[in-house]
Amino acid sequence: MPLLKSPDWPLLIDLYFFLVGLAGGAFMAAGVADIFGGTKDRVVTKVGSYLALLAMIPGPLFLIIDLGMPSRFFHMLMVPKAADTIGMSAITIGPFHIKPYSPMNLGSWALLGFGACAFVVALTLYLEDSGRARDLGPARGAFGAIGVLLGFFVAGYPGQLLAATARPFWTNARPLGALFIAVGAATGLAAIALILSLRGPEASGSLAKVRRAYTIALAIQGVVLIAVFMAVARGGPAWSVARGGLLTSGSYSLAFWGGAVVIGLLAPLALEIRDGFFQGYRRGPGMVVLASILILVGGFLTKYLIFAVGQA
Amino acid sequence: MARTLAMFTDTSVCIGCRACEVACKQWNQLEAEEPGWTGGYQTRPHFTDKTWRHVKFIEEKDKQGDPKWHLMSDVCKHCNEAGCLEACPTGAIYRTPFGTVDINQDICNGCRYCVSACPFGVVTFNHGTGRVNKCTFCVDRTSEGMQPACAKTCPTQSIQFGYRDELAKKAKQRLAELHAQGVKEANLYGEDTNGPLGGLNAFFLLLDKPEVYGLPQEPRLPQKPIWKDAGLSAGTAVLAGLGAIVAFRERGGGDGGGEQ
Repeated sequence: MPLLKSPDWPLLIDLYFFLVGLAGGAFMAAGVADIFGGTKDRVVTKVGSYLALLAMIPGPLFLIIDLGMPSRFFHMLMVPKAADTIGMSAITIGPFHIKPYSPMNLGSWALLGFGACAFVVALTLYLEDSGRARDLGPARGAFGAIGVLLGFFVAGYPGQLLAATARPFWTNARPLGALFIAVGAATGLAAIALILSLRGPEASGSLAKVRRAYTIALAIQGVVLIAVFMAVARGGPAWSVARGGLLTSGSYSLAFWGGAVVIGLLAPLALEIRDGFFQGYRRGPGMVVLASILILVGGFLTKYLIFAVGQA
Repeated sequence: MARTLAMFTDTSVCIGCRACEVACKQWNQLEAEEPGWTGGYQTRPHFTDKTWRHVKFIEEKDKQGDPKWHLMSDVCKHCNEAGCLEACPTGAIYRTPFGTVDINQDICNGCRYCVSACPFGVVTFNHGTGRVNKCTFCVDRTSEGMQPACAKTCPTQSIQFGYRDELAKKAKQRLAELHAQGVKEANLYGEDTNGPLGGLNAFFLLLDKPEVYGLPQEPRLPQKPIWKDAGLSAGTAVLAGLGAIVAFRERGGGDGGGEQ
């Protein structure tokens, strides 16, 4: 293996990856429920929007305190005077810069936009519910639609960011962005389901829809996870493939197979199918609490193990 | 853009004196470090935030079983397609008018993304300043018409400095010379501008395979397939979104679990 260096990002960064994915997924669910759902599904829009906004508050702070110079966090977007040779297809507008080949730069822009959309959508819901304004639907629809797209972006860019490095495993795991999007959707929906299941029977119709959606997201997560390992195995070089072996048969294999795959993916899938995914759900919220907690744990473990193995 | 400058490190004449390391530390005012035990004559395993020129002592056995060394003064490669430069979210890492890669310390905010994007493990985080650093190609000397401190000080001309096109010619001549003398393993690393990373502006003549020196055989620009990756991401996003739409669509029949 060539001599490489690790960025030594702490667990805080992985926690951010998890939260930002959950926020993107929850916001997507909120938007879909708002546009395609019925009037009763407003509860999903509310829970999803507030959850996304809430998850977005600590995340960026984690990023900032991890910087070597936290006071320069805004350099991600703007600097007083940048050179004009800062990378392929880089665009500089006044003090601002956009670097299409730097996922960290694009992600920072997306974070800003997503945060703004999540804030506006949450605000419209609050104003309507508190009776200070009526029918803000069109505004919510516009910011919601843009926010859903940006939400997918912020959920996925950390995966793209890891794949665009020279680190073993990450460098060949090209579908990591796709995987992080699937995990984000599943965990965001699971978090909504967990909250709805505490709300009692009036939300049970919406809850069934959320369960259906997270089960589909979980199935996508499984397929993309297989694609990630196929990409690593085919991508070479040998030292990078070998690092993937840490997950499948090395020191991380118990957490990977037992935690991320069986407990976090296969178990909730089996629970949902047994509970009536194909026939219409039968039972009450007990099973939902279990399944959604498993999905949240599994999603976190999946991201954590990938994060850790590239820096090991 | 000015004519591209380069450094050619010919490891076949390196004697492992480490004068380049010392000259680099002196000119760039880099602190001394405690040498650690690496199992041989090498003072440390790899570049650090205070060691930008690094002399490697690769220990091997010759045919008689006696130890022999491959010596190599390693340095930032100043890649024509630079992973660190593309990764940098702040624009702190930039290409100089001489074609080399430098880090603007007034802009870097210490995110360390470039550290993970360098295929050679060159860029290093400095915990003292909270920023990353690496060889600057002595930009403060070259811009005044002087050569980098390491090249200036090298007593055997293992490190040569000059215009890239001229140095590449010299390197090829030296390679032909060594091949004629029967040193068949000799090879050039990074000299070819059509090769990996568009060529390296600090290129090397090696006496064994690159892996022996801890260098990747085929270094790649990690950002290159990023739009293909983005396609996969977009496709997955569409699937996840469609999944949710299918689940939430009002069907009126109540088969979704009691709505209406």
